[in-house]
Amino acid sequence: MGAAAKTSDPGDPQIPRRRFLAWFSGVGIAGTALAGLFSTFAFLKPRTTYGQPNRFRIGRPEDFPSGARIAIDPKRVCIVREGNRVAAISTTCTHLGCIVAPSATGFQCPCHGSRFDVDGNVTGGPAPKALAWFQVSLTPDGELEVDKDNEIQMGTYLNV
Amino acid sequence: MSQESKSLGKTLVDLPANITRSVLRNPWPSSDRGRAATSFTNFFLHIQPVRVSRQALRPTYTLGLGLISFFLFVILTVTGVLLMFYYVPATAQAYDRMLDLRSSVAFGIILRNMHRWAAHGMVACVFLHMCRVFLTGAYKPPREFNWVIGVVLFLLTLFSSFTGYLLPWDQLAFWAITVGTSIAGYAPFVGKAIKFILLGDVTVGQEALLRFYVLHVVVLPLILVIFVAVHFWRIRKDGGLAKPEPIKPAAHPPVQIEIEETLAPVAAHSSVVVAAPARRFTIQGLVRGPLVKVGKLEEDTVFSWPTLLIAEMFVLLLTIVGVLAVSFYFNAPLEQPVNVMHPPNPAKAPWYFLGLQEQVSYSAFWGGIGVPGIELLLLLLVPYIDRGKEGVGRWFARQRLLANSVFLLFVIVNIGLIVIGTFFRGANWQFVSPF
Repeated sequence: MGAAAKTSDPGDPQIPRRRFLAWFSGVGIAGTALAGLFSTFAFLKPRTTYGQPNRFRIGRPEDFPSGARIAIDPKRVCIVREGNRVAAISTTCTHLGCIVAPSATGFQCPCHGSRFDVDGNVTGGPAPKALAWFQVSLTPDGELEVDKDNEIQMGTYLNV
Repeated sequence: MSQESKSLGKTLVDLPANITRSVLRNPWPSSDRGRAATSFTNFFLHIQPVRVSRQALRPTYTLGLGLISFFLFVILTVTGVLLMFYYVPATAQAYDRMLDLRSSVAFGIILRNMHRWAAHGMVACVFLHMCRVFLTGAYKPPREFNWVIGVVLFLLTLFSSFTGYLLPWDQLAFWAITVGTSIAGYAPFVGKAIKFILLGDVTVGQEALLRFYVLHVVVLPLILVIFVAVHFWRIRKDGGLAKPEPIKPAAHPPVQIEIEETLAPVAAHSSVVVAAPARRFTIQGLVRGPLVKVGKLEEDTVFSWPTLLIAEMFVLLLTIVGVLAVSFYFNAPLEQPVNVMHPPNPAKAPWYFLGLQEQVSYSAFWGGIGVPGIELLLLLLVPYIDRGKEGVGRWFARQRLLANSVFLLFVIVNIGLIVIGTFFRGANWQFVSPF
């Protein structure tokens, strides 16, 4: 009885101290959890990847005769040459990331049947947008270099 | 001298009995009190109630699906840990290790088969368990939150199975995960980041294999165990499995007394004078809720020891025999090693995601994220939307005709999509006839 009366006494200095401790601990733990969650995600998001570089050389312009449409599957690009103009079109399907294969009418995806024309425009299937074009440049020693980090507008060719 | 040798002899003679008693705490039960104490004082048995309703034991009511799911999870844990002794999560070695399991590891084939088929079985059983709970109206108050935990367990099961799918590092694995993670990439705002964190790279490769391995063998099982524990605990705290409302009052209705928040002795604050119950297990009722039944035991219950235990052991045996039988006759698939250049045509996700893949073939966002997201939300909210109180604890109760019909429509549509995706889709996802 006496104990019960004592703990409910508002004048007791123990109550504010206990309440302060409760708030202090609660906010502290929640803050730590939040910071921990954030840093865990930061930790899990790789800063460097160990996969293939996005800039790579594909050979000399002579390797690609006029009219050639050569898909380099490991690099996921298709090198197109018309006359002395060269371009690199992505062969990663914009739908779900499968590798599209060159076909008579352009490109075709084996996973969900998306179809693209020769420039990569969608002509059928579930793909939501056209295939990307990547920047192609000539290195000083005369090799072609594709930069997959650099998307360019469709129809932009490099003259060689 | 003789006194001492006598006591030494007696100590030796009593040794086995003393050890047995110290381990088991109770002698083999021969009375109701003993049967109660056996359930009560054993760590592994105290998870279960001392007495269990006959309804919960009827195979035609539960079909044993929840228990089978749990036992499959146990089998998966055991076989999975064993497989870990030989597996290496590296792109250069993983596939060879699969071949080694076939050729140079004793019981390697059967262990891998068991792990694979038990995983498929668990996905199926957890889903069927969910159907059972819905169609018997067993998610009604106070069991709403346990339904939500169950839905989370279903998702965890799917995700566990999905992460395991990549580990053999064959063509099937690689392209199924390529398609599956691309679907995640379509989530608004965070999709790309989630996909990148999940794969550890922009495409499926070594980083993805390692990440899926860690998720599969540590992270997901750990979370799953925690949720399973809460799921089981809630079954007890929510009053066991759902029972139908009694048709007529029992001959001797249990005395109900109201007890205020403070759990005082039974006689205090009660409007009815009740003798304190003679048996300890009835006192256990005091810890739950403001309204407690004391006095006469519920009529339709039996002791968990041995009735429930025997039923559970029988289901365990059935599960083991089933998994072993399937694993004996059917080998887990293993296709060609990963060839990043040549996707199989068609590239198909695991069967339980083929409904999703079929939807995705119509619209990547709506099929992969939009519609499944809405379905999931509805599933989570079911007990909070359907507030009807009737038709609990019976299959296809007339009062639940609408709810059951809507649910069955969802189930049939989704199974239909899976069937179409599995059997009616050929190269380039064109419609083909399997006949």
